[in-house]
Amino acid sequence: MTIEKTIVTIRNISKNFGGLAALQQVNITVTRGSITAVIGPNGAGKTTLINVLSGFLLPDSGSISLNNTVITGKKGHMITRLGMARTFQTAQLFGTMSVLENVMVGRYARTRAGLAGAALRLPGVLAEERAVRARALKLLDLVGLTDQASLPATSIPIGSQRLLEIARALASDPQVLLLDEPAAGLNTQETRLLGELLQTIKNQGITIMLVEHDMELVMDISDDIAVLNFGQNIARGTPAEIQTNPDVISIYLGED
Amino acid sequence: MHVRKNIPLILLVLTIIAVPLTISDPYYLTILIFIGIYAIATMGLNLLMGYAGQISLGHAAFFALGAYVPAILTTRYEVPCIVAAALAVLLASAVAYLVGLPCLRLKGHYLAMGTLAFGEIIHIVLNAEVELTGGPSGIAGIPMLGIGNLSVDSDEKYFVVVWVIFVLLFALTRNIINSRPGRALQALHGSEQAASAMGIDVPGMKLMVFILSAAYAALAGVLYVHFVAFISPGAGDIMFSIRMVTMVVVGGMGHLWGSLLGAGLLTVLPEMLSYFEDYDMLIYGGILLIMVMFLPGGLTQGFERLWATLRNRRNPT
Repeated sequence: MTIEKTIVTIRNISKNFGGLAALQQVNITVTRGSITAVIGPNGAGKTTLINVLSGFLLPDSGSISLNNTVITGKKGHMITRLGMARTFQTAQLFGTMSVLENVMVGRYARTRAGLAGAALRLPGVLAEERAVRARALKLLDLVGLTDQASLPATSIPIGSQRLLEIARALASDPQVLLLDEPAAGLNTQETRLLGELLQTIKNQGITIMLVEHDMELVMDISDDIAVLNFGQNIARGTPAEIQTNPDVISIYLGED
Repeated sequence: MHVRKNIPLILLVLTIIAVPLTISDPYYLTILIFIGIYAIATMGLNLLMGYAGQISLGHAAFFALGAYVPAILTTRYEVPCIVAAALAVLLASAVAYLVGLPCLRLKGHYLAMGTLAFGEIIHIVLNAEVELTGGPSGIAGIPMLGIGNLSVDSDEKYFVVVWVIFVLLFALTRNIINSRPGRALQALHGSEQAASAMGIDVPGMKLMVFILSAAYAALAGVLYVHFVAFISPGAGDIMFSIRMVTMVVVGGMGHLWGSLLGAGLLTVLPEMLSYFEDYDMLIYGGILLIMVMFLPGGLTQGFERLWATLRNRRNPT
């Protein structure tokens, strides 16, 4: 069996909010095992794209497929179960729970314990619970939050909250990880560590698609970059190609 | 290893054993039985409000359904209590499913209004369906709880039945909270979007906890009706729904022990304040107001603070 080179295909996706065309006929393919970045000025439709991909918004037209299966129109929780997990632009942690428990919630999609089994603490449920805890601790170790495992999730610094969101998303064993501005609010040092973490995740075989404003990070880690402007996909290529693309330069530096 | 964590529960079990041996005054036993019944309903509502972050101002309706089904079935059709009780809980769960399907699409104030309207509808039906429910005069002469020849025929025995059920439910509920479905409930409270991104079916999970909490309320209704032996539409009154919500809030939202503390305080307080005659409601309201202002985390928070202070005094750092 051959494995397809392309893992996500975005075909002719359009999304309008009233009169505003947030996405117009966007086409992007994501290569399996790559880090693909989507960049563009504010209001270019980047977050809308993430929301459409993750099933939080329905596109007006077009289709999205994951592993050659069309996922357009599926609910958000189904898309996670199919192997595409996401983080949020402003960290959306579960505030009543600890750091560790937040990651344990992330394991929901890959576990089975039901109400009755949980209430009666059946042996199978207890074994699953132990496995979930062990896996969550491992992921906290990966992102470097082991020390803070028992703290309330929303009490940790913003930079750590972003890492926690990534660990939580990884807990669902995604094939594709969607990151909505993971470096927002991070300092230079934290951003550098984030870049290293994303490389480690990529080396584990997980495809990453991120929306990001921090150009240094994007150019540093991406294999592939797509540029959006006013909802249109205006350029596509490797970091080197994008940096010398005249259209991209004119958007970012302004035309004369 | 878990002994320390279970000390409060062990103390509760010892108290349950001690009470029928030492207290024989029917007045005190009655109050303790009511506390147990309300604590069961409050625990269910706490799952919905404290853990999952959804409000219901119609839970008295489920309590009333739980009370009316055995009232009708045991007095008119001589259905065994245990069967009637099971049917009561099932009916309340089925109604919760049908009501929850549209209502739980609402959020915040709208969900409060939706559940309030549902509660009022049940209250009106109980008053109007005279042939079925006895109308405003209710149904009397409901038999004692019992299985076969075994009958719960004294207050002491009833006390034990109610509190054993509470302890069992408490243990089961605590297990649920510290598990996959329990964490999913708490995730709804934190962020519905993020919960969905974790693979949690948000509407399905809300419906599940709504049905579960309705089942607790119905079970409390069953225990109530066999103890009081009489039921009238007052049990499904909006004021009772609000009292249940108050028990959850005063006890401590999202704290399981809070259900017991809230039910205890709100049952005992009106009894104690009856000494003040005409001023009792004024003092009652004042106490609740002060509690909400200074202990927004409820009685559980109060106890936790007290415990922390005492411990710090013992081992000053």
